Amino acid sequence: MEDHEIIRKFQDPASRNLAFNQLVRKYQQRVYWHVRKMVVDHADADDLTQDVFVKVWKHLGDFRQDAQLFTWIYRIATNECLGFLNSKRRKFFLPLNDVGAELAAKLEADPAVAGDEIELKLQKAILRLPDKQRLVFNLRYYDEMPYEQMAEVTGTSVGALKASYHHAVRKIEEYVTAADV
Amino acid sequence: MKPSFRLDQHPRRRPQPLSAPPTGYFEQLPTRVMAQVAAPPQPSWFAAWLRQAPASVRTGLASTLLLGTFAASLWLGAGPAPLATSLKDVPREELVDYLASEARLDLTDLAELPTSSLGITTRYLRPSAPELTSALDAQPADEAAL
Repeated sequence: MEDHEIIRKFQDPASRNLAFNQLVRKYQQRVYWHVRKMVVDHADADDLTQDVFVKVWKHLGDFRQDAQLFTWIYRIATNECLGFLNSKRRKFFLPLNDVGAELAAKLEADPAVAGDEIELKLQKAILRLPDKQRLVFNLRYYDEMPYEQMAEVTGTSVGALKASYHHAVRKIEEYVTAADV
Repeated sequence: MKPSFRLDQHPRRRPQPLSAPPTGYFEQLPTRVMAQVAAPPQPSWFAAWLRQAPASVRTGLASTLLLGTFAASLWLGAGPAPLATSLKDVPREELVDYLASEARLDLTDLAELPTSSLGITTRYLRPSAPELTSALDAQPADEAAL
């Protein structure tokens, strides 16, 4: 089902549930992996993914169709992730690096990177980035999202995003090189 | 000198290497989301109105309700009319019949009469002198009592 059709059916109370079910099925994997890359842990990603869709349900009626539906959903997911990570820091009085270290510990326990030493170092380096820079890196490097679309998701200018991405790449390369000694 | 790491020369693993979610996760997720967003039971019109009402109206309503409850409890807790008023309406014959057939006085009741009301026996029984004499004669002559 096309996005505009989902939105049109969502406006009608008789077909609202059906349309929303289609929306969740269409975007759940992309939302989940976007969130999972930010919080690493599956349980956290599961909670946040559900929260994202609940917010989409609440606000889809107000969605202005001058933006792509998925960009809008991505933006909600991004805000949820950043809010989650910030609240975690506030809750446990953690400095920036400690959340990165916690995420890295979860990553080390993940069988998907077990045995691949250089990949593990790369992933740890990514987790050391500040949250927003890590978000920019993930969107560009893994999702290959165009800068213009990233600008809509993050509410940041294209120039600032390019600079942020190149800084992130430089930091990652430095960290992996240093860790490789 | 060790070569530095270059990200563009590193094979890109897509998607990012993270373990997959549990089996069937994406089949169940839409149902779980729908359960969260399914329409909750509609609140009554009064509850909906109350939620919308300004704080002053809600405070006034709560005060009125509290005052009403207090007044109702006072009114309901007032109980029957005072005994003296009720007994006045009962015919004297019925009172005598009741006391003769139902009332059981024991020594404790008599002993607990306050000294200030000792004349009450005289007023209510109104015994004549011969009645008192015969009642005293009927008492067993107990030396211990004497």
